Amino acid sequence: MAVEAQVPYQEAIEVHHPHSWVTKYWFSQDHKVIAIQYGITAIGVGLVALVLSALMRLQLGFPDTFDFIDPEAYYQFITMHGMIMVIYLLTALLLGGFGNYLIPLMCGARDMVFPFVNMISYHVYFLSVIVLLASYFVPGGPTGAGWTLYPPQAILEGTPGVDWGILTMLGSLAIFIVAFTMGGLNYVTTILQARTRGMTLMRMPLSVWGIFIATVLGLLAFPALFVSAIMMLLDKTIGTSFFMPAISSMGETLDYSGGSPLLFQHLFWFFGHPEVYIVALPAFGIVSDLISTHARKNIFGYRMMVWAIVAIGVLSFIVWAHHMYVSGMHPWFGFFFATTTLIIAVPTAIKVYNWTLTLWRANIHLTVPMLFAIAFVITFVMGGITGLFLGNVIVDVPLSDTYFVVAHFHMVMGVSPILVIFGAIYHWYPKMTGKMLNDTLGHIHFWVTFLGTYIIYYPMHYLGFVGVPRRYFANGEMAIIDSSVEMLNQTITVAALIVGIFQAVFIWNLIYSYFRGKDSGHNPWKATTLEWQTPETPPRHGNWEDKKLPTVHRWAYDYSVPGEEDDFVPQTVPQKAVQAEPQSAT
Amino acid sequence: MAADTGQQHPISVYFWIWALLFVFSAASYTVDYIGFQGYMRWALIIIFMMLKAGFIVAIFMHMRWERVALITAILVPPGALLVLVALMAMESDYTWATRILYFGEDPAPVPLPPPSH
Amino acid sequence: MAEATGWRNLQVVDDWAADVEVFRGVPWGKAMMWIFLLSDTFIFTCFLTAYMTVRMTTAEPWPNPSEVFALEAFGVPVPLLLIAIMTFILITSSGTMAMAVNMGYRRRRGPAALLMVITALLGASFVGMQAFEWTKLITDEGVRPWGNPMGAPQFGSTFFMITGFHGLHVSAGVVYLAVVAWRVWRGRYEKQGYDIVEITGLYWHFVDLVWVFIFAFFYLW
Repeated sequence: MAVEAQVPYQEAIEVHHPHSWVTKYWFSQDHKVIAIQYGITAIGVGLVALVLSALMRLQLGFPDTFDFIDPEAYYQFITMHGMIMVIYLLTALLLGGFGNYLIPLMCGARDMVFPFVNMISYHVYFLSVIVLLASYFVPGGPTGAGWTLYPPQAILEGTPGVDWGILTMLGSLAIFIVAFTMGGLNYVTTILQARTRGMTLMRMPLSVWGIFIATVLGLLAFPALFVSAIMMLLDKTIGTSFFMPAISSMGETLDYSGGSPLLFQHLFWFFGHPEVYIVALPAFGIVSDLISTHARKNIFGYRMMVWAIVAIGVLSFIVWAHHMYVSGMHPWFGFFFATTTLIIAVPTAIKVYNWTLTLWRANIHLTVPMLFAIAFVITFVMGGITGLFLGNVIVDVPLSDTYFVVAHFHMVMGVSPILVIFGAIYHWYPKMTGKMLNDTLGHIHFWVTFLGTYIIYYPMHYLGFVGVPRRYFANGEMAIIDSSVEMLNQTITVAALIVGIFQAVFIWNLIYSYFRGKDSGHNPWKATTLEWQTPETPPRHGNWEDKKLPTVHRWAYDYSVPGEEDDFVPQTVPQKAVQAEPQSAT
Repeated sequence: MAADTGQQHPISVYFWIWALLFVFSAASYTVDYIGFQGYMRWALIIIFMMLKAGFIVAIFMHMRWERVALITAILVPPGALLVLVALMAMESDYTWATRILYFGEDPAPVPLPPPSH
Repeated sequence: MAEATGWRNLQVVDDWAADVEVFRGVPWGKAMMWIFLLSDTFIFTCFLTAYMTVRMTTAEPWPNPSEVFALEAFGVPVPLLLIAIMTFILITSSGTMAMAVNMGYRRRRGPAALLMVITALLGASFVGMQAFEWTKLITDEGVRPWGNPMGAPQFGSTFFMITGFHGLHVSAGVVYLAVVAWRVWRGRYEKQGYDIVEITGLYWHFVDLVWVFIFAFFYLW
């Protein structure tokens, strides 16, 4: 192994200390400030999406009760809810928020390699959020095409927001991708080129690994969305026919001819499937660290975990068309994509086994982050198993476009990453602010969220099995709809409203603890990773002492090492002279 | 970032590659001019294209002299694109076949002459 | 960084296992530019794949590019004449760029800046010819993004989209080159070194590289 005494170039650089309020909190180049900006914006826009989902649930649980929810508005809720949650909340919060905060701290760097571009990245992201929310103020309102925006319907009369909403949506996506690229280049380059002495890739905490591979996926997958957004904009504005076949709409023949709607679906899912892992991989990484830290035990099979992340990343590019089994694509593709989809279950299962084995006979501390981490493992297994159903063509065909699909993807890439995000915020809030979050409020928040999730999504699997189609405004008196559906829908709605309202406890906790929380000290969880070893909490601009970056001597998981005084050994502590490196990865 | 660690190679290398790129461009142009068709045309065009692309990346962009870590990091990920292209080519054939099957248009479209001015 | 590099010493595993940096001796800016170009490769390939798909799926005849893009020279129509000239110009600009990089590392900042300006001018003339090509196509041949008199409407759509996006890259590159050339000329990089010229060059060569693929797939197919 080639650990050579190289000098990290960030050792001696001087960070530009800001002087005014504006450069300190708004146009800041400090990765920690940018991370918190990303976090607050993402959570803010996420709350909008939460309200939208509550409105949808009201309609589904109690149809014909709310006059202001007409079918058009309902489709707009669906579209905005989906897009905001997947892109503007999860992607932005996990990569822009946690990526920004954790990468330099965990790798032992002073900042990202190109802080200026990192700063611009946030502001462009902010612009994309503004453009997205502007949808509600343009004539016709936001687009109601569904978050997949499938043409031809997305740009034809009859879809809500066809005049302006679709333009703001596509424009906002293109702007978001520019923002993500600027941030993502920083994350990847920082991880590759700006680690501290002794920090080899195989000593990095799994959080960084997850964020790293997810960012690589983002840099390679978002181009497909960018391209399809541009082509659809051209179809809409100047009348090209990339995605538009010859079409008769509302009795008149349109000028389009010869385009391929399937092309859009392929490009969209060539982005869309890696996107699932862009959201999932950082969650995988972070939850590994949470479990290891709060179970006081090294992560089981570290190298296997790393290679599983890499394998999932690679495979995620060749499974995209399993979202398109009923689209009328080439009939052989079902075989190919079902095979690759089932293969990707292998590394995913390895990860689940390793989390479980880490918990096996561990000294488990049921702290709030740990509760969320365990909840994640359970929820992810549920969502993953239903993924095996849907990955098989023959099972997928009857289940397509039913509530089973809704339940599946909410469990696996909605609730699961959200649980990790909550756990991570409870875990790293002390480092960000120097204050602990309130434990009682945390427990209330956890139990309501966790149990509520199951009351909401478990019945949806059943709804799917009995054939309730997704994206329907109201089921009415359809003969195929079982009589049990109405009661279940009401139950789900009530549970969803309760869970939604209880998120206020979390928001209140964030605000309250910032002012009144008890001091956390530098390392409240007795964790080994570098971010807990900073000289100050919260870390100052530049993170470490002047002219001296920390040196890493061991991997990130030295918990409960026999023969050590404490039950954790920080990465900065040198190996004992007589001891060979028993656990450090070579 | 010391100044003297960068890529330094004799200028003559660049002239050679420059000339080669001209030759390959002219060659692929000739393929069109002569009017090769079918597999011959495809093979020649793609060979010349890959040669040009290879020389630009290897010599002008200095990939030839980079360490293998960088070369692998940059050249391996586009493999995903090859999968996309291959599958989309299959998909396009299928779409085209279904269009001909259901709409019954000319199965061998011939380019029309350009309009006279 | 003095030791031999290349295929004979495959230190690839050592490099990935090392601390501090994976790409040894590579400044972060250069690593970042390479990764950006990788991302951009995916953008252009998606464009070209979309073009391939619509072209292969259309049941209407596809206009013959070597006739559409023919230019009258001395009274005879020469196929793809303008495209050939544009290709030669872009290759030449890549050559001058490569020499600018070389001059930069030799710390001869005058010639380096001059070569970069020449590169930028060649790039600008490329964009100019592209504007001429577009104008001719629109006014003489009647090609529009939404249709053309010769066949499949996707011919115009993909042509304007792909060459337009490439042209935007060239234009951005011209501005980028001009800015860096000015700073090189002013001696701004005397202390930190001339990696920036190579980084700019990477972008410029990439633009050339994309043109190689557009040339083969759009004009010669």
